[in-house]
Amino acid sequence: MSDDATQPGLETRLQRLEQILVKLEAEELDLEDALALFEEGIGHVREAEKTLSTAALRVEEVLGEGVTRPLEGSPGTTAGATGRVDS
Amino acid sequence: MADSPQDPENGVLDLFSAVPPSGVAAESSAMATGDKADADPEADGPRVWSVAEVNRAVREHLEAGFSGIWVSGEVSNWKRAGSGHCYFSLRDDSAELRCVLWRSDAARLPMDPDDGMEVRLLGDLTLYEARGAFQMRARKLEAAGEDGLWRLAFERLREKLEGEGLLSPDRKRRLPRFPRTVGVVTSTTGAALRDILSVLHRRAPWTRVLVRNARVQGEGAAKEIADGIRFFAATGDIDVLIVGRGGGSVEDLWSFNDEGVARAIAASPIPVVSAVGHEVDVTISDLVADLRAPTPSAAAEAVVPEAETLRGQLGAVRTRLRRALQSGVDARRRRLADGPRRLARAIQARIRPLEHRTETAHRRLGAGIRSVLSDRGRRIRVQERLGRAMDVRIRSRRDQLTGLAGRLQALSPLATLERGYAIPLSSDGHVLRRVEEFSPGVPFHLRVHDGTVEARVDALHPNDDTEDPDDGRGRRDE
Repeated sequence: MSDDATQPGLETRLQRLEQILVKLEAEELDLEDALALFEEGIGHVREAEKTLSTAALRVEEVLGEGVTRPLEGSPGTTAGATGRVDS
Repeated sequence: MADSPQDPENGVLDLFSAVPPSGVAAESSAMATGDKADADPEADGPRVWSVAEVNRAVREHLEAGFSGIWVSGEVSNWKRAGSGHCYFSLRDDSAELRCVLWRSDAARLPMDPDDGMEVRLLGDLTLYEARGAFQMRARKLEAAGEDGLWRLAFERLREKLEGEGLLSPDRKRRLPRFPRTVGVVTSTTGAALRDILSVLHRRAPWTRVLVRNARVQGEGAAKEIADGIRFFAATGDIDVLIVGRGGGSVEDLWSFNDEGVARAIAASPIPVVSAVGHEVDVTISDLVADLRAPTPSAAAEAVVPEAETLRGQLGAVRTRLRRALQSGVDARRRRLADGPRRLARAIQARIRPLEHRTETAHRRLGAGIRSVLSDRGRRIRVQERLGRAMDVRIRSRRDQLTGLAGRLQALSPLATLERGYAIPLSSDGHVLRRVEEFSPGVPFHLRVHDGTVEARVDALHPNDDTEDPDDGRGRRDE
């Protein structure tokens, strides 16, 4: 799930959703703009819901800078090879 | 122990006159003598001890008799050597006892006691044989009162950090609402980590957790914790950091009252949640952290939202999005439909004041005209009444005249003339009523019934009695 790093996180999505709602609810927009905002918003909702449906916690022990290994015995630990920390 | 600056003068000289606990002393002295009793002491003269023998015997005797005792007094000349061992004296008004606290025990002290501080020591009496120095080997040092030294150390550090503003509420940062990655500095084998992971898994399984292992108690623990915090601060891979451990004694939790740990937390660019021990335990880490969680589980709850709540919120957002779009569309449709009506309203709004002004003007004008008209009417009515009054007068005059004419007719001299009367008239038409109005020889006219007769006066014969000519007519009516 290293693709997560390039995707906006929940925080970003929810912040953007708030902005969209404020605009959509308060501003006089062209129908076209309103529709675009609406579609963007629904997209964020869908992606956020997808994030929420993630099944298991990923737990890694950090051994050194950029080096991690999955921590065994953690609840919902997903199997994964030792690798570099994202970003 | 080469660095033990033992004072030989504090050596044990009158060991056997001391009063050791009964029985123990007797037994150990029996042992001491028993070891050496392989020859008859009287046979070869007095028993002569080597110094080492004496010191060893005394040490053994002391250690056997004075093991695990508590001694209280005032600390003086505290010295922590480079090796980590601590040397000091315990004294009261009349006596002094040399003491040593080995490094492993000294490391567990929250701070060095101040000179003059009232403390109690748990330890054993012993003799440093090399110098024959009597001393107490302390294993534990406590300041007066329970946790006295700990509390004191805590307060001192708290005051110090507070003085630097590190405990200020202004420094507290808001935690991210939806962290992607949570860092944890704790022991990977501890109960605290299990609790944290279990809560994170239940509430927010999409979270990534990075754990930096650190011993959380004992010597070196504070440094490992501080290093762990600094590690995450430097790598910046996480959104929020939990630092903590499960419950334990004051001493067990002491690493979290360490200045180094406190400063690492204060310096962290990432918000830190401190979760040490149980609810009642408050540490310096808790005070410096952006949030103090009462337990590790509570820390986990504080850093991530609950999936169910979030799902509900997202559902609500979806509804609001739909509704907002729909109401935008509706509003536009309404506006379109409303166009003509709104235009009419706008025009009306413009016209209304004009109308009003017109109406006012009209009203005023009307009132003026009416008042003028009503004036004229009044005048006309007056004239009418006047006219009517005149008519009445005229009519009555006419009636009067008619009456008079009748009467006149009745009185007309012409009617009289018919009966034979004649009226003398002068040449200029005057009625000649009196004698004196005649002159002899002067012609006059006689008006008779059917014409005029020319006549001439012959003679005048006036009467004696005369009448008022003005009343003649009226008097004749009767």
